[in-house]
Amino acid sequence: MVGWEWPPSHTGGLGVHCFELSKELTRLGHRITFLTPFHGPFTPVDGVTFRFPGEVRATADREYPPAYWSGGGPNVPVDKAADSYNEWIADLTDLGPVDVVHVHDWFGTVGGEALARRLGVPLVMTVHSTEYDRSLGHPWDHILQREQSGIDAATRVIAVSRHLRQQLIDRYHADPDKVRVIYNAVRPSQRLERIDPTKRVVLYVGRLAAMKGVDTFLRAAARIVATFPDVLFVIAGEGPEYPRLIHLAAALDIGDHVMFLGKVSDEERELLLAGSSVFVLPSVVEPFGIAALEAMAAGVPTIVSKTSGVAEISSGAFQVDFWDAEEFASRIAELLEYPTLRAAMGEQGRWEALREGWPERARETVGVYLEAMEALGRRP
Amino acid sequence: MKIVLYLHMHQPWRLARFRYLDLGSGRSYFDIERNLGLFRGIAERCYRPTLERLLRALESHSEFRLSLSITGTFVEQARAAAPDVLERIRALVRTGRVALLAETYYHSLAFLLPPPELAEEVALHRQMLRSEFGAEPKVLRMTELAYSDDLARFAEAERFHGMLAEGWERVLRGNPPTYRYCAAPAPTLMLLLRHYPLSDDVGFRFSSRDWSEFPLTAEKYASWLGATPGELLGLFMDFETFGEHHPAASGILNFLSALPAAVGAHRDLGWATVDEAIVGPPRDAISVPYTMSWADQNRDLGAWLGNDLQRSAFEAVKKVGVVVRQAHDAAILTDWRKLLTSDHFYYMYVGGHGGDQGVHSYFSSYGNPYDAYANYMNALSDLRRRALDRLGVPILK
Repeated sequence: MVGWEWPPSHTGGLGVHCFELSKELTRLGHRITFLTPFHGPFTPVDGVTFRFPGEVRATADREYPPAYWSGGGPNVPVDKAADSYNEWIADLTDLGPVDVVHVHDWFGTVGGEALARRLGVPLVMTVHSTEYDRSLGHPWDHILQREQSGIDAATRVIAVSRHLRQQLIDRYHADPDKVRVIYNAVRPSQRLERIDPTKRVVLYVGRLAAMKGVDTFLRAAARIVATFPDVLFVIAGEGPEYPRLIHLAAALDIGDHVMFLGKVSDEERELLLAGSSVFVLPSVVEPFGIAALEAMAAGVPTIVSKTSGVAEISSGAFQVDFWDAEEFASRIAELLEYPTLRAAMGEQGRWEALREGWPERARETVGVYLEAMEALGRRP
Repeated sequence: MKIVLYLHMHQPWRLARFRYLDLGSGRSYFDIERNLGLFRGIAERCYRPTLERLLRALESHSEFRLSLSITGTFVEQARAAAPDVLERIRALVRTGRVALLAETYYHSLAFLLPPPELAEEVALHRQMLRSEFGAEPKVLRMTELAYSDDLARFAEAERFHGMLAEGWERVLRGNPPTYRYCAAPAPTLMLLLRHYPLSDDVGFRFSSRDWSEFPLTAEKYASWLGATPGELLGLFMDFETFGEHHPAASGILNFLSALPAAVGAHRDLGWATVDEAIVGPPRDAISVPYTMSWADQNRDLGAWLGNDLQRSAFEAVKKVGVVVRQAHDAAILTDWRKLLTSDHFYYMYVGGHGGDQGVHSYFSSYGNPYDAYANYMNALSDLRRRALDRLGVPILK
C-alpha cells in the first residue's frame, strides 16, 4: 500500500483511513507492506510492515533521500520530493510476494505504477479528493499529471463517493467500468472500545476538580451497582482529583463498575453521549455547566445539582442537592429502571437545550451593550 | 328555571418523596403531615368560611338548595386535620336542603379498571356517606365528571337515579344543556348537565382582571342566570373555588353570600338539589360512546392519560392490581387504591412544550411531571414487592 502518513502522525484524514483500512484487511488475513515518505514512529498493527525512504541509507551505487518532511521538512520543492519518493518506490526490493499495489491519491502514483508493472500485479488507486477541488479550480500541473497517470494506469479506481466517481469520469476521463465507490467510515476511538457494548452507560464528562463533586457520583454509583450489574459508570475528563477518585472507587469496591477514560476529544464525547443512558453533573459549584446542556441536546436524560447554573433553564432535568448521594443514586436508578421516563426526559431535555442558541445569546449581549452605552449617556 | 349548584370537595393523599433507594424500606408512600398541613391551610382559607356562609344562606333563604360530593380521602384528612369541617358539613345536611352525591371513595380512575373495582369503591363511598353524614345518595358523579354509555349502564345497575355529565355541545347535538336528559343505553337514569360557560365564569374567570366582565357581582351573574332559557341550570365546580382557587381578597366569598338574594330577585329563578332535579320526564336521550370529562379543551381524559408517562403509570398500576387483589391484605389494597386517585396522574401532565402547563402546574405538588412519575413508579414498585412478598413469591432484583 502506497500511502502518505500513518498514526500517530495525524494532519489529515488520509492516514486514519489507511490505518483503519489496514487493520481490517489484516483481520481478514491479508498482509500489508505500507510505504510512506515519513520515517515514523508508526502505531504498530499486526500484519503491517512499514517501509520508508530512510530505512536503507545507501547502496553501493546510489544515494537515497532521507525521509521526506520528517521533523519539519527539508527545503525541497514538493514535486522534487515526490520524484525522489517515487523513484524509491519504483526500485523497492525485498517485498516478498505481492498481489496488488494500492496507491492513495497522487503522491506515489508514478512509483506505484512502475512497481506494479515490474511485479506484474494490478494497480488499484483510491482517490480521496482531486487537485481541482483542493486548489479550488487552480490546479498544479505536476499534481494533475500524477493523478491522471494513476487513474489511467490503475486496473480499478476507488472513489470515496458517487460524486467523486462522476468527477473522475468527467474530468479525468476515467473508464466508468473500472471506477468503484467505497465510502469512508468512522470507528469509535480505541478508548471507547474498552467500554463493553452490552453495558448501559451512566456518564460524567468534565474536569476532575474538587468543585465538580465527582466523589458524589462515585458514592451514588456504589449505592446501586449491585442492583444494576449491567451498568458502567464512565468518567471522562482529567484533573487534580484523579488519584483521590481512583482511591475512592477502590475503597467503595466499585472498581469493576467504574471506568476512567481520561480526557476525551469532541468526537469521542459525542460518541459517548450517543451511547449513554444517563448523564450526571454533580457539581458543588458550577456557574453554568455546559456539559449538561450538551447532554440534553444529545437527548440523554440528565441529572444536575441544584447549584448548577444550567438548572435554571432545565425543568426537564432532575435536580438534586449536590451533597445528596442517595438522591443522585435514586435518580440514576429511576432513569435506568423506567424506559418511559428516560424517553420523555430525553425528549424534553433536547427541546429545552435547543430552544435557544447562540443567536439569542448574541442578541441578549447586544442588549447589554446598548444598556451600557445608555448608562454613560451615549447614543447607540 | 332551577339552579342546580353542585360543589365538589376533594383532597388527595399526596405522595412523599419515595426514592428508588426507599424500595423495601417499609416507609410510607404518603406524607401524612404534609397532607394534613395543606388541609389545615385550605380549611382556614376555604372550607370553614365557605361552609359558614352556605349555612347562613340556607338559614336565611328557605328556597336555597345545594349539592355536595365529598371524597373518602377528603373525609380521612378532615377527621385528622380539621374535624370541625365535617361537623359543619353535617350541619348543612341537617337542613334537609343539601344533597350528597355518590362517587368513588378514592376519587379514582377505577372506572377504567376491570370489575369489581369500581363497584367496590362506590360501595365504600356509600358506606362512608351513611356513617359520616347519614346520607343515601341517589345521584352518581364520576371522578373528573367522567361520563360514558358504559358508566350509565353501571350507574343504572347500581340503582342510581341520576348521573352528572358535562354539557358539551358535541354530545348534545343541538339540544340546550339546561334540561333533564336520560342516558340512551339506560333510560331510567337521568342526566344533569354542567352549564360550562356559566360555571366557568365563577370557577375560572371570577378573579381574572383581563376578563371583560370583571368584576363579577352577584346581581350581574343572577341576571345572566335569569336570561338563560331552560328548566335546569347546572353550576358544577370545585368547592375550593371559594377562598382557595380565588382568594377571599378577590371578593368570591361575598359573591357567594350575596348570590341567593340576587337570585331571589328574579321571579322565574329557583334552586334545586340534584335529587330534586332528576325528578321528571327527560327531554331527550343522550349517547356518549366514549369517556367524556369536564377538563381542558377536549373534555376527554387527556389531562390524566394523555401522555406516555401517564399511560405507562396507569398500565403499571393496573397490572399491580392483579397481584394486589390476590394478596388479600387490607393495607396493601388500601395503598393501591390511594395510588388510583386521579390527582397522581394529573401531576404527570406535560404541557405541549411550555404553553398550557399553567393550570396544571397550579394543581401539581411536584416541580415537574418527571418527578411525579418517578416517585409514583417507585411507590408502585414497592407495593408490588409487598404484594408478591405476601404471596410468597421470591422477588428478583
